[in-house]
Amino acid sequence: MSQTTTKQWSASKLLLVVAVVAIVAGAATGLTVGYSVRYEAPTTRAFYLFNSGLPFDQDVWKMPHDTFSPDRITVNKGDNVVIYYRNIEDTTEDHNFHMDSPYTFDVVVHAGQTENFPVVSTLHGTSDVTIHVNQTATITFRANWAGVFPYQCLIHQPTMTGYLVVLG
Amino acid sequence: MLRWSAVALLFIVGFLDIYYGNSYAGFFESLWYVMGAIYIFTGAVIASNFEPRFAQPAVFGYAVFLLVLWGTTAIGTGAGLDTVAYVDKAIEAVLAVNLALLVRNSRGPSLLR
Repeated sequence: MSQTTTKQWSASKLLLVVAVVAIVAGAATGLTVGYSVRYEAPTTRAFYLFNSGLPFDQDVWKMPHDTFSPDRITVNKGDNVVIYYRNIEDTTEDHNFHMDSPYTFDVVVHAGQTENFPVVSTLHGTSDVTIHVNQTATITFRANWAGVFPYQCLIHQPTMTGYLVVLG
Repeated sequence: MLRWSAVALLFIVGFLDIYYGNSYAGFFESLWYVMGAIYIFTGAVIASNFEPRFAQPAVFGYAVFLLVLWGTTAIGTGAGLDTVAYVDKAIEAVLAVNLALLVRNSRGPSLLR
């Protein structure tokens, strides 16, 4: 019977071989993913949000004519979202911005039409803010959860509702 | 000692991977769950000292593979470049060194050539 001899690798040689194989395999896989997958890294996305009014008689139709413009905001999961919300009413009518759980947001309300006006109030981790005519609210949050989430003006329901679409 | 520190690091990285996939990744988060689960499983394997001559180098290779995979994917996509990922990968690098030392110790001087 012939005797077989098992050649043992030294620990250093074994580690070197394993490391080289792992590095080559990891780099090949990672570079392939990098080149083949269309992916946008999380970024900051800014939107300008206004109240809007449809041309119908609210008393006749028994519902508010107010809507959001835009009524769809689409971002990627992980994005930082900044919404510049402006109350552009020509009457003394308040508007509100509300989001349900899980989303909350930070908000800074300014006394005028831009962020250069003095700060009226600042809220952290809130789900609700109301602004008067000619005020601006800067709303910020991170889109941590994928899905479709409504944002609403609670004063003008059901028509003044938009949807945040978070692509996951 | 090296074995138990490796086990601890494997569990830490495993749970951190799962946390990252759950809370943030935004990019193939399911893969982070899988990577974390594999780390936790390999932590149990290393703790039980099952087939150490195979298991220890294999887990070392896995750690190096994931480190390089993360680095090259980050270069190509910009994904995974945040504090949690940096911490995760720093621990993973320590784990790789720990496993390399463990492999050297486990094999003993009599087998060195």
